[in-house]
Amino acid sequence: MPTSPDFKPTPVLTKRIPEDRAQRKTVWFDQYVATGGYKTLERVLSMQPGEITDQVKAAILRGRGGAGFPAGLKWSFLSPPDGGPRYLAINCDEAEPGTFKDRLLVDFDPHAVLEGIAIAAYACQMQTAYFFIRGEYHHQAKVFQKALEEAYANGIFGKQGLMRGASKFAVEVVLHRSAGAYICGEETALLEAIEGKRGWPRVKPPFPAIKGLFGRPTIINNVETLAAVVPIMEHGVEWWKKMGVESTLPGGMPSYGTKLMGVSGHVNKPNTYELELGIPLRMLVEKHCGGMRNGKKFKGAIAGGVSMGVLGTDQYDAPMDFDIGRKYDVLGLGTACPTIFDEDTDMVAVARNICRFFKAESCGQCTPCREGSGWLLKLITRIERGAGTTQDLDMLLEIAGSMGLTPGTTICGLADGNNWAVRTIVNKFRPEFERRVTPRFVPVYVSAAGR
Amino acid sequence: MAWPTKPSATMQVPRRAEPYATAQMKARWTADVLPKYATRLGALMPILHDIQHAYRHIPYQAQLEIAEFLGISPSDVLDTVSFYDEYTIEQRGVVTIGVCHSIACEQCACSSTKLLDCARERLGIGVGETTDDGQFTLIAMDCLGSCDTAPVALFNETLHESLTVEKLESLIVDARHVSPGGQH
Repeated sequence: MPTSPDFKPTPVLTKRIPEDRAQRKTVWFDQYVATGGYKTLERVLSMQPGEITDQVKAAILRGRGGAGFPAGLKWSFLSPPDGGPRYLAINCDEAEPGTFKDRLLVDFDPHAVLEGIAIAAYACQMQTAYFFIRGEYHHQAKVFQKALEEAYANGIFGKQGLMRGASKFAVEVVLHRSAGAYICGEETALLEAIEGKRGWPRVKPPFPAIKGLFGRPTIINNVETLAAVVPIMEHGVEWWKKMGVESTLPGGMPSYGTKLMGVSGHVNKPNTYELELGIPLRMLVEKHCGGMRNGKKFKGAIAGGVSMGVLGTDQYDAPMDFDIGRKYDVLGLGTACPTIFDEDTDMVAVARNICRFFKAESCGQCTPCREGSGWLLKLITRIERGAGTTQDLDMLLEIAGSMGLTPGTTICGLADGNNWAVRTIVNKFRPEFERRVTPRFVPVYVSAAGR
Repeated sequence: MAWPTKPSATMQVPRRAEPYATAQMKARWTADVLPKYATRLGALMPILHDIQHAYRHIPYQAQLEIAEFLGISPSDVLDTVSFYDEYTIEQRGVVTIGVCHSIACEQCACSSTKLLDCARERLGIGVGETTDDGQFTLIAMDCLGSCDTAPVALFNETLHESLTVEKLESLIVDARHVSPGGQH
């Protein structure tokens, strides 16, 4: 259960990053080491790699990139080393609209990420790590490159072995800049992009842990997930499990630890906050974000990146944990970066904006997504213009419901994002959509002869 | 993104005498880029970044040169170039203005629609176009990962946050004097 009943901010990942934006400065190597940095790496190098994986597994560290898949379990899918290369890919392709949490870590505490990378690479015996950063993060790529050079100069990575040769195991880290494609955040599309190809998601199986980058076993983790490995190894599993909440669903997996939550939209203090999982959205907005802007009423929120769908007006009290998907009819917690809407927001325009995004970012590989996203945008634009009919609304739901992994018609989950976003907005704000369309009924003729 | 462009087999590639991939670049790629990837194709994205950065586009001639350097098919290069938004075959302006028009910037702040209208009017071009003097390219971009300081816009590699129409106007005025290769 949460260590504090009122969900006070718990600086774990942000212990070197002040909440006040004006006071934030990048923590470079010397300052990082002076504040206890790389001590955990040094200590874990005396452990067996398997022990680290077991601890991360025991901590039930759920992936922070959106899916919430336990990182330790993912690591344990790797087969024992066979002497050939194994890869770690770090997903910093933070392109989901509304999401800006990994940027904070890379901008201000890049060495915390590098320490996590080193621990993960050692735990899973992966010799090369590719830090995959989105093309639009120009500044962040420069910061990370500088931090990486510092880490090499100080012997953290490089041929001599991790931590100036404290372990014989040597790790190379490569910064790989993407070039503006949302789909590359999908793990297999990310691998294709590192291989120099167009970012088309691969058909699974084989899963990346068996056959990933350059045909070799590969683990893909989010930036925040790897940064969270460091405090888990530093303070222990029990400490980690004291934060966050248990699942209240039958057979549900718990949501332990803290989470970076980037709040944007109609709130007084939009920012990235680090809070324990399970904090109700209302408390997040009212207590930490200074309430709704201009004293307006809450209308709805995007759960955590547009692909997760929206929370309705009556779902303001939804706790921000990994149960949220099944309990509140959204796709999931996603990146836990909610965008808050006030009572004046036009939800039809919101839906149109989201549809435009997915149409632009569909990679074009699967027909239901490529064509469906275009039709959804056409329909919703027509409704926004006031030229839609009630049939358009039904068609919108029908098209949305037929694309994605859930109905089983696409290779990756991009279409599910479009599907859930449209369905949840239309279903939860149906009266607003109905006011914008002209009622049209299908005429039914009953023949006298058929009586 | 989306669909590959497909020049016909009879297409004439415009050529200039000096190569786009200079000897200096090739030496750097051999020393710094190729060793980082298990295949030669793997080095393609960093190489394309270099060319795009140096010339503000990746002309067909450069694609042929890269293909020859990496020992891959030119169609592999075109395949990748045509997929990613940051790589362009048409030359971009000296300053590319990318206004974010995703959810927080469009719906929750001084709207990105107003910013785009302002930029269109000031520059006299539409979204996706380049001014006649080659100074500006205006594009609408999806989420730039700075929703807490919405609305935002990228001027080449620099992110400008919490924009207003007035701020954008003055940024455009300043950017008129940026020379090719200069920082904004």
